[in-house]
Amino acid sequence: MSTLRLGYGTNGFANHRLDDALGVIADLGYQGVALTLDHAHLDPFGPDVAERTRLLAARLDRLGLAVVVETGARYLLDPWHKHQPTLLSTDPGPRLDFLSRAVRIAVDLGAECVSFWSGVRPSGPDAVDDETAWRRLCGGVGTVLEEADARDVRLALEPEPGHFVQHLAQALDLRAELGAPARLGVTLDVGHCVAVEPKNAAECVREAGDLLFNVQLDDMLPGVHEHLEFGAGELDLTGTLAALMEVGYRGLAAVELPRHSHAAPEVARRSAAALGAASWLAEAENRVRADPASARSLFPAVGRKVGRAALRPDTDPHGLVHGTVDDRARGRLLAALSEVLPAAELAKEVADLYRYGDGAERRGVLRALHRLPAGAHEVREAGLLLVEDALRANDTGLVAAALGPFAAEHLDAHAWRHGVLKCLFVGVPVAAVAALHERTDAELVRMVGDYVAERKAAGRDVPADAYLIGEEAGQ
Amino acid sequence: MRIFDPHIHMTSRTTLDYEAMYAAGVRALVEPAFWLGQPRTSVGSFVDYFDGLIGWERFRAAQFGIRHHCTIALNPKEANDPRCTEVLDIMPRYLAKDGVVAVGEVGYDSMTEAEEKAFERQLAMAVEHDLPVLVHTPHRDKLAGTRRTLDVVRDSGIAPERVVVDHLNELTVGPVADSGCWMGFSIYPDTKMDEHRMVAILKEHGTARMLVNSAADWGRSDPLKTLRTGEAMLAGGFTESDVDTVLWENPVAFYGQSGKLILDPIEDAAPTGETFEGNSVLRGPRPDSGA
Repeated sequence: MSTLRLGYGTNGFANHRLDDALGVIADLGYQGVALTLDHAHLDPFGPDVAERTRLLAARLDRLGLAVVVETGARYLLDPWHKHQPTLLSTDPGPRLDFLSRAVRIAVDLGAECVSFWSGVRPSGPDAVDDETAWRRLCGGVGTVLEEADARDVRLALEPEPGHFVQHLAQALDLRAELGAPARLGVTLDVGHCVAVEPKNAAECVREAGDLLFNVQLDDMLPGVHEHLEFGAGELDLTGTLAALMEVGYRGLAAVELPRHSHAAPEVARRSAAALGAASWLAEAENRVRADPASARSLFPAVGRKVGRAALRPDTDPHGLVHGTVDDRARGRLLAALSEVLPAAELAKEVADLYRYGDGAERRGVLRALHRLPAGAHEVREAGLLLVEDALRANDTGLVAAALGPFAAEHLDAHAWRHGVLKCLFVGVPVAAVAALHERTDAELVRMVGDYVAERKAAGRDVPADAYLIGEEAGQ
Repeated sequence: MRIFDPHIHMTSRTTLDYEAMYAAGVRALVEPAFWLGQPRTSVGSFVDYFDGLIGWERFRAAQFGIRHHCTIALNPKEANDPRCTEVLDIMPRYLAKDGVVAVGEVGYDSMTEAEEKAFERQLAMAVEHDLPVLVHTPHRDKLAGTRRTLDVVRDSGIAPERVVVDHLNELTVGPVADSGCWMGFSIYPDTKMDEHRMVAILKEHGTARMLVNSAADWGRSDPLKTLRTGEAMLAGGFTESDVDTVLWENPVAFYGQSGKLILDPIEDAAPTGETFEGNSVLRGPRPDSGA
């Protein structure tokens, strides 16, 4: 259903024969591959490269896979020095030869583009200044462009952390300096955006716009250039895919996990699941914005589409404190709803989603109340009714979700104290209560004290969380 | 023998039934929305019933190791009461829920205009929500009612392989077989259809597109009639594989068209002390919650 075309990078299948890798990637439902030309995967310097390229084109065609050509192999040109030589080297000859071969292979494969990077600015005895590096880069790209123009192949320059061109803005500057050639665009690795860009990946996608020829997908942590599986870093995958849909990106978006070849099939399977969930959610948000009533059928479907796991299973196995994957996704749908509906209609729609929701849907509403525009009294009043309803239930998931930031800000002291006491009764960790420290008052401490005394008098255990309340009050 | 009862009203049954069903091999079932003995008089009554089908009853079944799914509909009898028909506006919310595997039971009871209108509208909903349909055939004037049912189904444009026409007998099976729809048989004690007649029908028509159910509810009925039919099939010369086709593979194939069946085994079918909104089904000792 997604308009995006998703692929997988063969450099994440370095321990597979290329034909086997393509089979697995196709079987998992990917629509294309980012093919890194390398010694074991269509060596562009091999004696029989023309014949093997022909066979590969036939296999891609049989499997229905689209292809982009990637040129980031580590030791293809120099067995001693990773990525060397580059377009910035004193002698870029082998790199120019390689890129020229890549362009010809792209023609024979029917590839959508050839992706390349600048390389690191030379240091040590061959060190050059920025100005020289820039001149060499412009010259090298110009040379490759002649080949690409002659053969009608698109080139995509990838900003790479640590390289001379490491930010999207630099890649766009270089293109401008070369006179905005039609066949030169950019490759964007969305993980790199998290690691080094001043903007998030979605904003980078919008900035690149029509010049986006190629996309690589992976997660990363800020400041750390390490390719991670989705969910292991800080990428907003759903928001990023939504931005790709928004700018009308038509190229391949291929998973880039070159350090995961040891477990490639499983990693590729997990990645496909994460991409399926995120693209469903991105499209669901768009549908809700276009047709708010569609939330009534999308909201119940969330668990089936994005999963139901706890967000932090190690410390919070049931998601009582931090919520679940489906809670978070429902929150995004409600946020989309609140962008398009006036306050009164929003209040009614949210109340109905709760009223006609099953337990998971109600939890999703409660956990997102603080994301709705609380300035509107209709929304605030509707939210309070829902919180009060949830606090009358005995479902621990509802009680925990009810005492989030919305209740912390808007629920009256009496109801809030009884909610906290109920947590102790039904076994909800008080860690689920937002602003516990700020709102704990003498009356709550008295209520909890009486509860503890009652338990002790009956010879029953006292939940450890009961003492936590006293500590919050500094006792 | 593994059994999937494709039509049983567990809301009206006891935990003893659940235990006996589990012991007989029932691991999954579908509970169609239908009328209760006492007529409903408001939409709210339906909504609470639907909430029970996707909430409490699913939880209760799971306590006994059985996967519970349901179908959602305005039933034919109550389609005649204008106080109830507004439930059709709320139905789409429930058709989207987890575990809702079809629109049903729809169809005719007394062959009125109001019934036909609700029937047609709900067939359209099934197409829109990409769900199969469970069609009830009338107990009175059954053959004529079944033929008219098939006309309405055909005119709706829904694919026949996404429709099961239920409560069939020797006289009504033929036209349904010819239509391409699935054939459902409710096996009751004494009346309507029994397991031996069922075996004869299977011998004549084969096992393809055949669903056998107990349709057990608040009336005199037997939730183990699926098992009894399987036993009668074996005694009548069918193989274990044939029995598995009718009692498991066929309902899985039919309701699987919804994409919403959940069939992985429930890990610990023994009492867990788990609660649904704070209520346990199992009574007896439970973990001290401090309450």
